[in-house]
Amino acid sequence: MRKAFFYCVILCAIIFGAYKLSAKEPLYHSQSYVFGTLVDVSIYGETDERAQLLANHIFREFQNLHIRLHAWKPASAVRLSELGELNSAFTLGSKPMAISPDLANMLTEATVLSVKSNGLFNPAIGHLIGAWGFQRDEFTAVNIDEAAIKNLVHAQPRMTDLVVKNNSIYSTNPTVKLDLGGYAKGYALDLAAGYLRKQQVKNALINIGGNVIALGQHGKKPWRIGIQHPRQPTAIATLDLADGWAVGTSGDYQRYFMLGGKRYCHILDPRTGYPAPHTQAVTILVPPQAANQPQAGVLSDVASKPIFIESADNRSKAAQAFGIENFMVIDDQARVFVSKEMAKRIHWVDTSVKFTTLQ
Amino acid sequence: MLNSPLFNKLLAQPKLLAKQLLIGDWFVLLASLLFVIYLFNTLWSNEYATKVQIRLGDKIYATYSLNQQREIHVHGKLGDAIISIAQGKARFAKSPCHTQYCVHQGWLSRAGQAAICLPNQISLELLGENKLYDSLNY
Repeated sequence: MRKAFFYCVILCAIIFGAYKLSAKEPLYHSQSYVFGTLVDVSIYGETDERAQLLANHIFREFQNLHIRLHAWKPASAVRLSELGELNSAFTLGSKPMAISPDLANMLTEATVLSVKSNGLFNPAIGHLIGAWGFQRDEFTAVNIDEAAIKNLVHAQPRMTDLVVKNNSIYSTNPTVKLDLGGYAKGYALDLAAGYLRKQQVKNALINIGGNVIALGQHGKKPWRIGIQHPRQPTAIATLDLADGWAVGTSGDYQRYFMLGGKRYCHILDPRTGYPAPHTQAVTILVPPQAANQPQAGVLSDVASKPIFIESADNRSKAAQAFGIENFMVIDDQARVFVSKEMAKRIHWVDTSVKFTTLQ
Repeated sequence: MLNSPLFNKLLAQPKLLAKQLLIGDWFVLLASLLFVIYLFNTLWSNEYATKVQIRLGDKIYATYSLNQQREIHVHGKLGDAIISIAQGKARFAKSPCHTQYCVHQGWLSRAGQAAICLPNQISLELLGENKLYDSLNY
């Protein structure tokens, strides 16, 4: 009898051990620094070898895109980026420049989205972004040149100043300087998701510094992402992403500088030329889109900006302009607002969070 | 109790114990075993982190237990960063980056918490049994 008891214990130990061993899930995870931010790729259900090849391909594609779309010339770069060449041509006059088809498509799409946002999403204000010192690797306080900012706003650089025709482009406004900082990461997400689907990958999660897209799920559970608290080193909430859904967060805490006790973030209001002052963070959740429309990744990047910039009364309207039903806003006084749809999906990490549901 | 005749008798005849177990006793044993497993699963895997993973560029630099007091020097893209571990927590203590966002993040203690130094390309992530999410949207 005593023997039997010991056998029983040993059997239990073996079963438990085997369970722990078999619990090693087929999850591959890899990180790299691209687009001046951290890129995080998870692939589920593939062998480590294949997942590594796929992830490396994605990182290479991102790096290519980053080099082509770089909005300013880093000290280490020998020559201007493809986008930089266009920008320098715009300042010289309206002579058409050759443009690669995919970049032409990006700019055409960005123009449509810019118009939709009433110009609050405006990739043409590169000179303004430069004046605030956000076209550098590190963000230090700048001397705020009020006159220069006023002039740059007055010059009204807009995406509609661009004329794209027969694989060539010119600008009717020499003050247009393209900076796709609010578009490229989203575009890259769609690119990577498309690539993985083509490679028959069913389950993956791609995070480019605050823009995430999901394919399939994490085993039996959906992919779950944490939303960073804008003032604490922790997540404020989590969201589950279904297949093809994307999330984008715009915050004032990753790119900003402090001057005279005031925070100046990198998200500029094109109407005033100044950093949007009344928001800490905006998170939007975007469902899969129709094939001929801007895709979920692009929308997750673009559509959070107008909500971030708009005044409190107009946030819902700014979201509606892009058909965004799921959004969360944390304002400058750390008050949390969530849309009705978002309230159903969001899980608070700290359940004592006080929030207002927008009707 | 220890001097009681019954106890001495039991000591002298260890086999008696198992032989005298009835079916009900086995149920009690089984139930308590299941209860212990249940407690183990719920209490052991809490949200407090046990390890810190340091990443340098696209590589995992090292993983350290949080159950120690130590300073780790990591040579990043810009220069040497110092990461402190103490009392189940970890933080960037010093960084050569200009913004110092990473240092301002302060102590991390819960699984899934992360501090990222983009300029120096070093990141800390706390690991624990229960990760709250697959990726952090920041």
